[in-house]
Amino acid sequence: MIILQTSMKARIEQTRARAAADIDNVRNSAQLEEFRITYLARKGEVASLFELLKTVSPEERPSIGKSLNELRTFVQGRYDDRQKALAAGSLGPAPADFTLPGRDRFVGSQHPLTRTLDEIKSIFLSLGFSIADGPEIEDDYHNFGALNFPPDHPARDMQDTFFLSRTGLLRTHTSPVQIRVMEEHSPPVRVIMPGKVYRNEAINARSYCMFHQVEGLCVDKGVSFSELKGTLISFIKQFYGPGLKYKFRPTFFPFTEPSADIYITCFICGGTGCRTCKMSGWLEILGCGMVHPNVFRSVGYDPERFTGYAFGMGIERIAMLRHGIDDIRLFFENDLRFLQQF
Amino acid sequence: MRILQSWLKKYITFRMPPAQLADRLTMLGLEFEGVERLGEKYEGFAIGEVRQVSPHPNADRLSVCEVNIGEETLTVVCGAPNVSPGQKVPVATVGATVPQNQHDPDGKPFVLSRTSIRGVESQGMICSEYELDLGKDADGILVLDQSARVGQPLADYLGLDDVGFDIEVTPNRPDWLSHIGVAREIGVLVGRKPKLPAVRLRECTTPIRKFLTVQVEDPENCPRFAARMIRGVRIGPSPQWLQKALRGVGLRPHNNVVDVSNYVMLESGHPMHAFDYRLLKGGTIRVRQAMPGTRFVTLDGKAHTLPEGAVMVCDAEREVAIAGIMGGANSEISDETTDVVLEAAYWSPSSIRRTAKTLGISTDASQRFERGADPNGPRYALDRAAELILECAGGTLLKGIIDVYPKKVRPRKLRLRPARVNALLGTTLSRAKVIACLRLLDIKAVGIGQGDLLCTVPTYRVDIQQEIDLIEEVARVHGYDRIEEKTGANIDFSHRLTSSDTADRVRRALVGSGFHEAITNSMVNGELARQEGSTPVRILNPQNAEMAFLRTSLLPGLLEALRKNLSHDISTLRFFEIGHVFSLAAGEKGSFVENFNELERVCILMAGLSEPPHWERQRRSVDIFDMKGEVAGFLKKIGLDKWRLISYSTSDGLTDNSLAVEIEGSTAGYLGRVGDRTRDLFDLKEDVFVAEFDLALLERHATRRYVPLPRYPKVKRDVAFVVDRDLSAGDLEHVIREACGELLYSVELFDVYEGDAVGERKKSIAYSLEFLSRERTLTDQAIEAAMQETVRTVRERLGGELRGAH
Repeated sequence: MIILQTSMKARIEQTRARAAADIDNVRNSAQLEEFRITYLARKGEVASLFELLKTVSPEERPSIGKSLNELRTFVQGRYDDRQKALAAGSLGPAPADFTLPGRDRFVGSQHPLTRTLDEIKSIFLSLGFSIADGPEIEDDYHNFGALNFPPDHPARDMQDTFFLSRTGLLRTHTSPVQIRVMEEHSPPVRVIMPGKVYRNEAINARSYCMFHQVEGLCVDKGVSFSELKGTLISFIKQFYGPGLKYKFRPTFFPFTEPSADIYITCFICGGTGCRTCKMSGWLEILGCGMVHPNVFRSVGYDPERFTGYAFGMGIERIAMLRHGIDDIRLFFENDLRFLQQF
Repeated sequence: MRILQSWLKKYITFRMPPAQLADRLTMLGLEFEGVERLGEKYEGFAIGEVRQVSPHPNADRLSVCEVNIGEETLTVVCGAPNVSPGQKVPVATVGATVPQNQHDPDGKPFVLSRTSIRGVESQGMICSEYELDLGKDADGILVLDQSARVGQPLADYLGLDDVGFDIEVTPNRPDWLSHIGVAREIGVLVGRKPKLPAVRLRECTTPIRKFLTVQVEDPENCPRFAARMIRGVRIGPSPQWLQKALRGVGLRPHNNVVDVSNYVMLESGHPMHAFDYRLLKGGTIRVRQAMPGTRFVTLDGKAHTLPEGAVMVCDAEREVAIAGIMGGANSEISDETTDVVLEAAYWSPSSIRRTAKTLGISTDASQRFERGADPNGPRYALDRAAELILECAGGTLLKGIIDVYPKKVRPRKLRLRPARVNALLGTTLSRAKVIACLRLLDIKAVGIGQGDLLCTVPTYRVDIQQEIDLIEEVARVHGYDRIEEKTGANIDFSHRLTSSDTADRVRRALVGSGFHEAITNSMVNGELARQEGSTPVRILNPQNAEMAFLRTSLLPGLLEALRKNLSHDISTLRFFEIGHVFSLAAGEKGSFVENFNELERVCILMAGLSEPPHWERQRRSVDIFDMKGEVAGFLKKIGLDKWRLISYSTSDGLTDNSLAVEIEGSTAGYLGRVGDRTRDLFDLKEDVFVAEFDLALLERHATRRYVPLPRYPKVKRDVAFVVDRDLSAGDLEHVIREACGELLYSVELFDVYEGDAVGERKKSIAYSLEFLSRERTLTDQAIEAAMQETVRTVRERLGGELRGAH
């Protein structure tokens, strides 16, 4: 009998706990009615437990009977409270299935080249440079002559040119914008000039007939090679990270002298040598130099009074290195599967 | 250009390992692109002597050979018919990579392993010329000269115990296109000058003038023409050392005379040419310009039509060489040649370049002359070549040189201000340091007062023409990496260079609206370029017909991008591009460059679904109203209020059902559906919508002025008009705005209805109107008056009736 009594007490407790949990889930009248049928109806759980009272020994009956009465009062009380709450509308709607998909909107993307360019621009703006632009169709004078490429000079072969007329051509570099800026403004000048350029070169994974450059120009009294180094290294550290090594290598551009190529530690392999850096551990990232006096002469600046530096870099190359893109043509195919990655 | 380490060491001693040499010269500006150990290919190959040849016990065609390779004797199974005892042969040992496999159709290399051939173990392989990649002969083994030393590595025997450097020479430094030139640069590193070979010549007593006369009729393009003559040479193969040197730099040996002239060019940098004297008519050389149109066959057998201005070397009757570019077939050295005329001249660089470009010929000689040879180089070149020809081909050197050199080019003298060096570089170099840097380059600098220097520049340094060129040399020798880094920019600008930021604002707005930025090729085919209607710009030297014109609109590029994406099953696309379009400016001035117009545009393209798919939402394809909405939102985002759309119907051009977008009175662009004809060009089936604007016109927005926030409440009235079905909503709204006057704050169209309730050929358009005054709270009477006025005006001007006011 003790066992039965214990089990009666346990069953009363279980029913009480279940009812307490169920009533919390009742959100509408249908559910409330369901609750009533489950617990409070004539064949409900509470009534069934009262039926079992007969089986309890007479000694135990008063105590179990008391517990049963308490259970009925509890369940009825919760039922009444819920009914009132429903009538008053104070219960929120049923929780939804939040795992269902949301209503998407179209998400756009900026081309990786303009994104890279934006970053470059913001650094140079903070270094006190403004931004200028110029036409993609240029004349021979601005693209070559004024930049100290003599006529019939092999230096012109460094840049394979698309010609449009006797003098008209697609610019092969952004340097003609230097000339246009200096023709318009007197020193001091501190400006960067981004834009598209064109070269009549074979199309493959490494080269395309059209690409982008950023050109820079700074002209004032007393500008030196030393300042060129300081400014460009400041840019390089901001753009590529403060820890890397760099070196300036002498080279030749007709429009600057002395001229240099800047190399940084290959950040793909950390300088140990890999395919990207052709096993050298170094990456060439920028060409620069002091503006050639002949260039100043062609725009009417006095090279004895003013000195300056110029620099240029290819955006595609930088973006390829940064993102590990191995084919330059991807930039111009506009495959959504590519663009969406940026 | 390829430079050999052993060749350099004839002029200068250095102990740097090849990689270090390459690195340090690269940091001086002479770029080393590659370093190659030439013998690498023949590692594991040795010279062997065949001791004994016996028949293979199990195969008729094979023999079993005992081959001594010095340290050991190998048993080698050989299938060659020509193997016999006593031969010196190339032997591949186990583990060596045989360059070409005779039994492979592609001749792929293979690694030799120890194998048993028909029961006899072969410990190596005697190779054929083909297998060694030394020639085409695959029929038998390569039998070497008896002088070959047993056990010697094959690479050594072949003269490949050397290092080849590939250098990339910038166009300003033709003096680097030679071994002596590179040796001079090494001299800067090691602080010594290179030693040139001392030339010793034995001339006979017969003067050259007795046989040869030279007349230069074009001294402007031929400032110097010098010649020597050797009689009685015996043409034949060059000695081993000469062949090795030429092979090492990738040149094929011809015969002793031609090889010597090439050798001297690669040594000194001065191109030369050798003529067969007996083929020179009249014993005469004349330098003159070509008669345009003359046919001339060069010694490579190709016929050319000579252009105007081409400078020619001629004999008494005809042209015998294109000056400084290539000799003629009619006077070249052959096996029968006995008397040789050697030419070393100096030609005007621009003349050589023009002719070479026009003829499309580029030779070792033309590359050097067009960059600028040393006008004082011919003398050494002639003497050195004569010395070597006598050594290699015998013969007698006639006395003297014919040297037509009326205006001797003297070393340039330039003033250099050490103060200027420091100002430009940002250094504090002493005068002595500057002098020392220049001395390493053989530039003598002496003081000329006020601290200035007068520098004497060797004539081979054609690139040094003004002070700045000397400053560069000082910077280079001192070392760029030793120049301090400073950032003392004094940023003080009276003007601001304003490139418009319109493109940036447009880009941000469109990316924010869910468009992908594209960049397409500006070069398109003629058909696409002509679609837009303006005259396209043609490229004179296009890569191919698909890229022969410049785009006149951004649309074709984006349609091509759409087509490509469709092929990847991506059909919903929202693209934009910001870029330039081009056209010919007939009679106009052009935007920057005469005869050419260039505009910056933005193009927006939509295709596929109007919204991303969602289970609850009905799918719908984009239509013109989606594009209109995007355009309106976009213009608002970039700060433009005053614009309107004007319908125009076009059947030509890129679109149909188009609307022109007018901003403050000028047409800034269009929006519409891409026309069927254009769509067909890209094989597109679905509707595509496009909008394209001139960026410059979007830029003309005024700075926005703040309007004080309203202090009185707005009053709202809904109204519907029944109008003719053909009346456009735009016209109705225009009339409503006019009639309501300045109290009207906003107009929102909320319903369009056609059906029985409004009658046939009619429609109802419903608006929600908001009224607001900035001076007072609006009374019912004031609004009623405005509404009545509106109803009256709509009735009178458009015949519309009030459907019901709420």
